[in-house]
Amino acid sequence: MIGKFLRKAYKSVPPYSEESSKEDIKQKEQDIGKKLQKNTQTFQSIYSYPDNQDVKIRELHIGGLNKKATVIFISTITDTNIIEQHIIRPLIENSAESKSIKDIVSVQTVATESQIKKILSKINSGNAALLIDGEEQAQIFNVSSFEGRGVEKSQNESLVKGPKEAFNEMVFTNISLIRKKIKNENLVVESTTASVRSKNEVYMVYVKDLANDKLVDNVRNRIKSLNTDVLQNLGLLEQRIEERPRSVFPTILYTERPDRAASFAEDGYIVLLMDNSPDALILPATFWSFYHSSEDHYLRFLYGNFTRMLRIAAMFITLFSSAIYISIVTFHAEMIPPDLLLAIAASREKVPFPAAIEIIIMEIAFELIREAGLRVPSPIGPTIGIVGALILGQAAVQANIVSPIVVIVVALGGLSSFAIADISMNFAIRLCRFLLVLSAAFFGIYGMAALFTIGLFYLVSIKSFGVPYLSPLSPKYISSGDTVFRRLLRNEFYRPGYLKPKDMKKQ
Amino acid sequence: MRTTRIKNKVILLISMLLFLTGCWDQREVELSAYVVAIGIDKSETDEGSIRLTYLISNPEAGIQAQGSASDEPPRETITFEVDDFLTATNLANTVVAKEVTYDLLNVIIVSEELARDDRFIRWMYDATKGEDIRRNAKLLVSKENAATFIQNTQPSIETRPHQYFNLIFERGNEIGTLTVSDLLTFFRKTEADSSLFLSFYGSTEKPERPKQGEDQDRFKAGEFYYEGETNTSQFAGSAIFKEGKMIGALTAEQTRLSYLLNDTMEARDIYTTLPDPFNEDYQLGIKLNKEGKLDMQMDLKRETPTIDVTVPLKVDVLTNHSMAEYPRNPENREKLKKTFKNRFEKKFEKLITKTQDEFKGDPFAWSLHARKHFLTIPEYEKFDWMKTYPEMDISVSVDVRLGTFGRQGEVPDMEKLRED
Repeated sequence: MIGKFLRKAYKSVPPYSEESSKEDIKQKEQDIGKKLQKNTQTFQSIYSYPDNQDVKIRELHIGGLNKKATVIFISTITDTNIIEQHIIRPLIENSAESKSIKDIVSVQTVATESQIKKILSKINSGNAALLIDGEEQAQIFNVSSFEGRGVEKSQNESLVKGPKEAFNEMVFTNISLIRKKIKNENLVVESTTASVRSKNEVYMVYVKDLANDKLVDNVRNRIKSLNTDVLQNLGLLEQRIEERPRSVFPTILYTERPDRAASFAEDGYIVLLMDNSPDALILPATFWSFYHSSEDHYLRFLYGNFTRMLRIAAMFITLFSSAIYISIVTFHAEMIPPDLLLAIAASREKVPFPAAIEIIIMEIAFELIREAGLRVPSPIGPTIGIVGALILGQAAVQANIVSPIVVIVVALGGLSSFAIADISMNFAIRLCRFLLVLSAAFFGIYGMAALFTIGLFYLVSIKSFGVPYLSPLSPKYISSGDTVFRRLLRNEFYRPGYLKPKDMKKQ
Repeated sequence: MRTTRIKNKVILLISMLLFLTGCWDQREVELSAYVVAIGIDKSETDEGSIRLTYLISNPEAGIQAQGSASDEPPRETITFEVDDFLTATNLANTVVAKEVTYDLLNVIIVSEELARDDRFIRWMYDATKGEDIRRNAKLLVSKENAATFIQNTQPSIETRPHQYFNLIFERGNEIGTLTVSDLLTFFRKTEADSSLFLSFYGSTEKPERPKQGEDQDRFKAGEFYYEGETNTSQFAGSAIFKEGKMIGALTAEQTRLSYLLNDTMEARDIYTTLPDPFNEDYQLGIKLNKEGKLDMQMDLKRETPTIDVTVPLKVDVLTNHSMAEYPRNPENREKLKKTFKNRFEKKFEKLITKTQDEFKGDPFAWSLHARKHFLTIPEYEKFDWMKTYPEMDISVSVDVRLGTFGRQGEVPDMEKLRED
């Protein structure tokens, strides 16, 4: 009975009545009329004028033509100087009687719209609308000017050799940064509206004569089929369009480097850009694109491969260091050389916890420091480092809570995890590390090997927009052979075959 | 809805299965007592049991790490009577607090008395049954009781017992005074029944006075005289096992010679001395290296099978107390070469005769060379290497190549030097 009661209490949701906006929608579907006064009133009521502070409605008299007119714009996202100098002033000062509006104003682009809905969307994205008495069309002038920061150095994917600039929150800047690298008329920047209410635009950037048409259609359809009110940035878009939202491994690459985006586009990949996102989404993505960094190719052959070697070692150390420690001290003591075994045994003698608990305590402590260090306001930042290092390293060992060897093992794994630059892959590897720790605690090396094998099966089974995750290694495709290591630049002949690009040969 | 609930339950059950079935042989490292060496002696009272000695290593000894430094002794030993050394681990827990494990078992020390007993092999086969005993554990025969040997082996510098044993055995292998004596080889040679097994030979006894003799390494463990403050245990020479029973012992020199006659073992840079052909008062210090493989010519079809062995030796002369001129005098060199050849041939012949007459078996693994002279295994087995070996006609020749004469080859002319 209590169960029933509880279920009722939690299951039933109080009814909620939404307000109908049918009339609003109907109003917006209509075209504007001939009477200026009526039109102006319509817009005033839609924009809640004059309560809405930054919506400006300027009524004026066009000289020469002798007509009344109204200019509507939102002052915070437009360049008011241009409106004043190149729209309002020429209109007022005009004396010619038979000039068209296009010839009077001196702004870059002029368009006409008649449906209220469309006029509104233009005004909302930074245009000024000119309504003229007796005309059933509104003149739309592009005078947008959004606030944003300039092009800055990339912060999350920093490198020593190579371009330093990064995307910012303004999509046109980002497109310009890509165009700067691909000076080709085949570079297409296609825009699609992805959300219903906020009308967020997603820009698809690809090279027309390289990218596979089916792939482009697939991505376009996926974005179009999103039926959401708001889609603010690429981080949210990524989660909407990926195939396996619950998967540990990321399937879309997220980068803030325009040079990386450009080189992917030149290989036949598709780059997605959006306003408010200081980065680009690149798809389809394979495991290797998360493992690589752009510097690998900017550095000379040997140096680049050396960093690749370090990175793959770091990946394995991150995955396995803690798990191996647990399994050898709890299951396979005979595996280690006697001196090391005795050293471990000695350092664990006074520690009250089993090895697995000890490691998990330290791992969680490390993750906490990392998370707290990320969120901490920057003036207090340095203290976190000191407190973390002191308390966890020194004091925990002195108090015999953890053994010194565990500190080494966890610190090594933690440090190595920073070598994996991509944030999604970084999370994936760290989560897998915890799984491996658990499996090692229960089954030793056997458990680790089993879980790793399952993980490999899983990796092979994932696809990103139809592309197998581990290609071109498995399954094999024609490609430049850029997987764990890279080749000499002059030996990288082909674009990745798994993308089915229109042009295979690179050189 | 319903299916997801069932799915959730199944996942929960399977994950519980993992929790319940895992950890079955989990054992934390710090909860074990690590036996580094066991000593086996004959029981004084019971025929069917043995006296077992455990040498248990203390992990905490000599650790400088924070929070674990202590001044506990590096080892503890216990000796008690048991029926076998596998079940003895539980018996030991009457005295030792932690679970006794053979994970680090490095050395099995057997007293010569037990090793010479017919029943010795019965206990040795326990080692193949224990799950944590490794086949690379070493077998050492001690001249005295194994318990006494372990008691007295208290190195003052390499205080960790496993480290001491490892180091001294490894070094003995490199210079040829000790053979390769692990359990695997012991079982293999015993079961193959074609050659003799050589094991480490050790003792903590010490002779009263230095031995008078011509060659410096003609001794076994327990015969080397030294003074000073150190550990009393010595490791030199080897105990010979035939069919799993000890039948004799070789000196350090003989062990080294058997290295040179054996293609399966390798010793490098053997330092030793030989009488100087130019002045009998002095000894020449030399460095021996075997160059390549033995040249074996076998004729096994005859009534008395014959073997002609050629041992390729490279000899570097290190000291030259007679001050004879070698680098510029080919005659001297020729004489030196001839002396070496004769000396070594004699030594080899003596050793081979000893193995044929005394041990009646071959410790040089020559049966490996012989096997290729037979077409089928039954044919080889019928030949019975172990039985035939003592009757064979074996001749040894040595192929000497002189190497360097030290970093500086020349020595001053004594007569000129002492002119005035």
